[in-house]
Amino acid sequence: MKQYTYIGVALFLAVVTLSCDEDFLQPVPESAVSSVGYFSNDEEIETGVIGIYDALQGENSTNLNDKRGVQIEFYVTEMRSDNTRTKSQEGEAAQFESYTITANNGLVENYYRSSYNTIYRANLVLDNLANASESAAERFEGEAKFARAYSYFNLVRLYGEIPLIDKVIGPLDKEAAFTKASSAAIYELIVSDLETAVANLENGEINRASKAAAQALLAKVHLTLGNYTQAQTLLESVMNSGFSLESNFNDIFYNEGNNEVIFAIGYNPGVETDSQDFSAEFMNGVGRTSGVNYVTDEARAILDEKGGNRTQYSYRQDPSQLTQYQVTKYLPNGEDGGSDGKTFDSDATLSGNDWIVLRYADVLLMHVEAIMAGGPETSAAAALNSFQQVRNRAGLTDPVTSITKQDLLDERRVELAFENQRFFDLLRFGVAQETLSALSDANGYSFSATDLLLPIPQREINLSNGLLEQNPGY
Amino acid sequence: MKSILNKLNLSAITPGLIIMVLLTACDFEYDLPEEGSFEDKTPPSANFTYSQGEGDNWMVYSFANQSTSATDFEWDFGDGNSSTELDAQNTYPGEGTYTVTLTASDKLGVTNVSSQVVEVVEPEVPLARIPVILEADFEDNSLPDGTGDGRDSWRNDFGGVIQITSSPVQSGAQAAKFPSAGDRVAYQDGLEVTPNTEYVLTYYYTLKTNNPGSITLTVLGGTITDLAEVAGATLASFEGTDQDSASTYVKVDLPFNSGANETISILITNQGEEARLDNITIDLGV
Repeated sequence: MKQYTYIGVALFLAVVTLSCDEDFLQPVPESAVSSVGYFSNDEEIETGVIGIYDALQGENSTNLNDKRGVQIEFYVTEMRSDNTRTKSQEGEAAQFESYTITANNGLVENYYRSSYNTIYRANLVLDNLANASESAAERFEGEAKFARAYSYFNLVRLYGEIPLIDKVIGPLDKEAAFTKASSAAIYELIVSDLETAVANLENGEINRASKAAAQALLAKVHLTLGNYTQAQTLLESVMNSGFSLESNFNDIFYNEGNNEVIFAIGYNPGVETDSQDFSAEFMNGVGRTSGVNYVTDEARAILDEKGGNRTQYSYRQDPSQLTQYQVTKYLPNGEDGGSDGKTFDSDATLSGNDWIVLRYADVLLMHVEAIMAGGPETSAAAALNSFQQVRNRAGLTDPVTSITKQDLLDERRVELAFENQRFFDLLRFGVAQETLSALSDANGYSFSATDLLLPIPQREINLSNGLLEQNPGY
Repeated sequence: MKSILNKLNLSAITPGLIIMVLLTACDFEYDLPEEGSFEDKTPPSANFTYSQGEGDNWMVYSFANQSTSATDFEWDFGDGNSSTELDAQNTYPGEGTYTVTLTASDKLGVTNVSSQVVEVVEPEVPLARIPVILEADFEDNSLPDGTGDGRDSWRNDFGGVIQITSSPVQSGAQAAKFPSAGDRVAYQDGLEVTPNTEYVLTYYYTLKTNNPGSITLTVLGGTITDLAEVAGATLASFEGTDQDSASTYVKVDLPFNSGANETISILITNQGEEARLDNITIDLGV
């Protein structure tokens, strides 16, 4: 009896060995897509590339468990600057303007997680590049590295030193997920990723990464690092790539696909999976909040003084609350909201306005910054020319003969107001501490130098089991 | 009814009894002060960064407190000034070396000290660089180490090496000579400049008068590896065609802006007729 049993097992094994190949034991699912065995050809890898842009777009949702990405970026950038604040100083959103951010702030955690989601999707494409055809692989690599560099550039400026993940990691890879890299190492990856993107990409796209987008972003990285000549060379290359200033300032934001935009995160109206809600949040009680990213008195004062014809297109008095002022650069689907400013024909919470990341006016002003090269002023002809172009479009045609650092910072503020540039500009110009201290004193906020970095989200600290150290001041 | 009252009475008395028992059981007197307390695993750690003010405010330093687990701070700026602010600012009396000390403490009285040496120096207004052109006058033994044949710095892979003439010259004893074949090229790179600065390059040339000809000097941004790159890298160029005299040198002032370059190079070529070139100098323009 025993003998028979053994024979039975042996026979069974023999049969299995003969009929068994990989497909049998690991069948590729037919009704669903999984990352295992996927990304095997150009077509499949391109869906991965589209997935990166989907991550950049963020999820349009009222749930902070969803990765909201750039849709909540104004909280962690513009509302920490002297440009905007909440309308009614309520909830965790108000922590940003008053510099009382806690490590548990859900928006801080969400932006961090969203950025790493983009990085994960970029790494997923990069890890599978070997399966792409040679010609397509170059472009996929350029796009993935552009998105990865963009995310890390935002992360390192907002959170300081953070874990540097340059390949797909698993849930058990705690060491990689929770070990802070030096900011030098992070910038090294950003620069090398963007150099690859510059080399691999062509121009002609707005909602996908292009050569000019990579050049402009790399120029901004070099300005941040103080490599002025490298920045200038890149910017001059963008300036020779056929972009131009849109003649009417308002059209930059409502005439999508205009020739001033170098890179924008694309949205379509009416579809939850492909739209954004920040346009609604900027209004009075139209979105989930009662109104955020409202314009500060300080920002209004400088726009009124130096904005020229940009001022009327940058902010307005809230028709429903006359003591308050709203951003008008991204009005939901271009509608003004009627007489009360909050009645929209389309669904404002499913807006389709693209989010502009890089535009030509930014490039021209960065060109001035590169030539100024950290100095107190410049009167170089090339700088004056770039500066004058931006001012002429704003209707400020009096000839400029010399530009001080403050002139440039102010010009950037009024040109790029409410486009999530101001906080980074203050950091890059080395005046963040003094500017925000003064703002804080004047408004009774509680700014201190450690508020220049966001906290590492408490959730990450907890998950890291002691590996990840909190930033000072939190 | 009576039994309920009784019950109520009883239940009111019971807590009283329990409290009495607890009180008598409490032995405060012999409780050790350290009993049940934990070591402070996050003692204060002092740290700070600083930055110098700009322009006329160069003596004003801003200090950014980066301490952790601390509630009280004492700054000693090393010049006799001090502060107990969280972030601090200090105006130094002048240039010098100061040791800044930050003492961070918590409410348990634990302290931690961090010191950094601050060198207060008035920033110099950066002067524009004047590039040094080697063998600019094509003289023998004019390299910094006292060697050279007057053209060593001008050799390249773009064309044959230039010749040297001793007559006519514009200055010194020698000048560069480009035979009429036009196959000799002079090139020198790595000349350090300040970006976005106006310069004027001055030189002298003369052409023989037998055949129509010209000599061209081009200022290039950065370095080239192939003559095909010349058009894209040219900052300024001048084609000399003055053939009035074979022996009288003509002066050329060639202004250029260094643009986005930290170095420039100079390329000299000729065609059609024998040419001479001498005495290249470079200075700041207006």
